[in-house]
Amino acid sequence: MSQAAELLQAHAEVMKLARLLDREPDELAYLQRMAPGDLRALRDGVTETLYDGNSSLGRLAAASRLLPAGLTATIGQRAFGPLLSARLAGLLDTEKAVDVADKLPPPFLADVAVELDPRRASDLIASIAPSLIGQVTAELVARREYVTMGRFVGHLSDDAITAAIAHMDDEAVLHTAFVIEDRSELSRLFAKLPTGRPAGVIAAAAADGLWLEALDLLKHLHKRQRKEMVLAALALDERAHEAILDTIIAHDLTDEVRLIAEHDDSIERRLAERRCQKG
Amino acid sequence: MSDDAFTTLSDQLRGPAPDGLRELSDDELADLSAAVADARHRQAAALAEAGDRALSHIPRLLRGPIKRIVG
Repeated sequence: MSQAAELLQAHAEVMKLARLLDREPDELAYLQRMAPGDLRALRDGVTETLYDGNSSLGRLAAASRLLPAGLTATIGQRAFGPLLSARLAGLLDTEKAVDVADKLPPPFLADVAVELDPRRASDLIASIAPSLIGQVTAELVARREYVTMGRFVGHLSDDAITAAIAHMDDEAVLHTAFVIEDRSELSRLFAKLPTGRPAGVIAAAAADGLWLEALDLLKHLHKRQRKEMVLAALALDERAHEAILDTIIAHDLTDEVRLIAEHDDSIERRLAERRCQKG
Repeated sequence: MSDDAFTTLSDQLRGPAPDGLRELSDDELADLSAAVADARHRQAAALAEAGDRALSHIPRLLRGPIKRIVG
């Protein structure tokens, strides 16, 4: 990962940690200079402490087994709220938790998703109907909760990813892909994009100046997916090409150049010309 | 960074803090430790309140057994 991409990843980690600690990201700005791996380990440690450090959570989950799903949903929404519901979600039996989720409105489930550690509720997330995943995704996209969506991708079934993507615009796909928790899941995410969507993701990068984010994805995609992205970029106008070349030069993205060169044999020459122009 | 500040953070995490965080200053480590402690206390308080609120939604017949489980 380039140094610039590491800085962006560190920023995403600080955002995740701030949410967990109920702090503003600016209050934890001093963490920005830490390595993303250390920040991830810190966040894991905080998560463990909050989830495992209170025996009341287990007792509340045990008590909820006595109650029907509808009543548990009502209590979750009116008494526990999103934060505690998120803490409890992974402690309930999966079948019961799915029934409870079915009875909750998508906006509340989106609130819970923001607070939830997906690793603690992986079976539950994988069991939720794709249509409901789609509705919750629509809520998260409207709130630009890309960090939350990025944490969930690895826990979703293929059908759920397809349903989620249907509710994500190209900008949301790009942002979510960049902050995805498990980068080995990127090729699975992109495999579910319908024809034309990778070109849309490239267009979103051009529109918002997110070339660093887009270029950082290349090494995690299958060769065929990379080719589609590179060809989409080649189809853009000269201004976009210059922006890509400038991003590569500014951040010294040598790995990315090598990957682009597999599908665009003019990249090295154009980089040299651009470097001369910038002088 | 002093070892004390790093140990305090590890204590709050109930396990070793990542070594890379030794680059933080004592003040930064203290702030981080306080943030973790605050989050733990907030969660404990929220749980206590939520338990009481939840009981008001539960049919009277079930309140006894539920209270016995929750403790």
